[in-house]
Amino acid sequence: MNLTTALARLLIFPGLLFAVPAAWFFLWVERKTVALMQGRIGPPFMQPFYDFIKLLGKSTPPRNGVGGLLMMMWPLLAVSAAAGAVGLLPVLPSSGGFEGDLILLLALLELPSMCVIAAGFSSRSIFGEIGSAREAALSVSYNVVFLLAIVSIAASQHTFRLEALASAAADRPSSLYWLGVLAILVCLPAKLHINPFSLPNAEQEIYSGPMTEYAGPELAMWELSHGLEWVAATGLVATLAAPHLAAWWLAAMVFVALSFVVVLLLSVTAAATARLQIDTTVRFYWQCTLIFAVLAISSALFMRFKS
Amino acid sequence: MNLWNRLMCYCRRRSPWLFHMNSGSCNGCDIELVASLTPRYDAEQLGVRLEGSPRHADILCITGPVTHNSVEAIKTVYGQVCGPKAVVAIGSCPATTNVFIDSRTLDGPLNRHIPVDVFVPGCPPRPDAIIQGVAKAAEILAERGNQLPVESVMVPIGESACACADATQHAVSEVQP
Amino acid sequence: MNILTMLWRNLWGGSRTLLFPARPKVTKGYRGLVRFDPALCTGCAICRFRCTARAIEFKAAKGEFTWSYDPGQCTFCGRCVEGCKTHALSQDSQCPPVYLTIGALKNSYTVARKPAPKPASAAPPAAAAPTSIPAQEARNEPA
Repeated sequence: MNLTTALARLLIFPGLLFAVPAAWFFLWVERKTVALMQGRIGPPFMQPFYDFIKLLGKSTPPRNGVGGLLMMMWPLLAVSAAAGAVGLLPVLPSSGGFEGDLILLLALLELPSMCVIAAGFSSRSIFGEIGSAREAALSVSYNVVFLLAIVSIAASQHTFRLEALASAAADRPSSLYWLGVLAILVCLPAKLHINPFSLPNAEQEIYSGPMTEYAGPELAMWELSHGLEWVAATGLVATLAAPHLAAWWLAAMVFVALSFVVVLLLSVTAAATARLQIDTTVRFYWQCTLIFAVLAISSALFMRFKS
Repeated sequence: MNLWNRLMCYCRRRSPWLFHMNSGSCNGCDIELVASLTPRYDAEQLGVRLEGSPRHADILCITGPVTHNSVEAIKTVYGQVCGPKAVVAIGSCPATTNVFIDSRTLDGPLNRHIPVDVFVPGCPPRPDAIIQGVAKAAEILAERGNQLPVESVMVPIGESACACADATQHAVSEVQP
Repeated sequence: MNILTMLWRNLWGGSRTLLFPARPKVTKGYRGLVRFDPALCTGCAICRFRCTARAIEFKAAKGEFTWSYDPGQCTFCGRCVEGCKTHALSQDSQCPPVYLTIGALKNSYTVARKPAPKPASAAPPAAAAPTSIPAQEARNEPA
């Protein structure tokens, strides 16, 4: 993959130019479907865009010292990591990639939640600390399942290259592969802080949690990183589940359509459930899904060593 | 106004984020405020979001006649709201202390402590009246831009106080009409 | 399955939201703004006495009185309406509008007092419309 392709992927197609409007669109879709399912009309179409621009125009409280610099840095890091994760998705066929870019994608997908945790602690506010502690507990729980599911998918296809995984869905999808995709889907509400697992940003339980002391453009960056996380996470499921198509425009449309379907599914889950407490959440991920992920990975390893 | 300012004005009117604070009210107005987020009245159609932190909000909605115990809290939270902000006094208690007039535990109407932009009368006001008040405050906020209200802003004491718009306060207060 | 059927029905059943400037109709006994009819008022000031929030002010002067009402101070309890013997006060279904400065909604009426009813004279003063029932005039001697 040469430099121009890399830059085009990072900045144009699955990258920033597509991802930022897609992020706003997916945020709107989530709010609107949750509103419609609750019997009300939701925000107008451009609402996340209005929120973003309005936040850019607000002032921030003055912060001094290293803490202030750190607080400014975490949202920027989160946005760039999420944008990088979106850019790395193998949407178009034959867009190149490198061996092991699945690992890079996982690292980039993890970084926004790490930034949220760090931001809550560096804001030196008690609500930020509580929110970050909750986010850390949630992260430890769902990440085990998430990583095991991804590794089991990769092991079942004998590759760590994203492009090969994306085209594998059409060839010979074993049931293990789909089990892994299902496990990733189950982890998505926790990753995106949606309703059964919306513990870290429990609105008004802990005064906005890790984001309590953020304002203005920094908050705009957090909202943007949250939207980009939506695009990256639903895009990952979409690329893993999409059939292999030759025409690039068809592949792009199928990617967007599948991401949209995943967003709708997540919105229905968010509207239908209430927030679980931390012990129920941890128990859910460690007891129920962990067994299932261990089963998946052990059978993947067994198949690998058998062949 | 150039394009960016006009865009900012347009977006500020369409995305009012609220922070709700109770300064000793009987909770009637608070109930009607959260009732305005329910499906029948749906404040979200105007882009209203009830935020958890004063730093995220643009519009501070205050209910209740201001009791002695809550005066410092109100001034602190007002200082913590960043950027161009507006205050909506919901109910007749913050405007005039209503039936609690002459009470020894109160500290007067709200605009003795912070500048109030919109008063929503009623005891309690209907949720649709509250939404109209918030929409009016959003319009005021959009026109206000980076200017501040004419009356002096009480800058609260305390480490967590936001001295956020201090520079613009001092710069703009002379040119206010 | 219950929540999912509820969500499904909400999704296809349409929203029951009132679109923004629309306001719902109020119920029959809704206690809204207090309306004052200067023609029926005799200046007894019972409403000022009964008002729980001191929203009604009454100032007596020679030959006239001023009645003022501040909806921003009012708590809409209806005691003034109940206490008014001549039904000069009523509560209608309109709620008070949003305002920007304190005291903007206050309104006052200055009503000239009606002279004591003489049996032969025609009587009523120019500021108020003629009252209808002679028995009512006899009952309400000017205070």
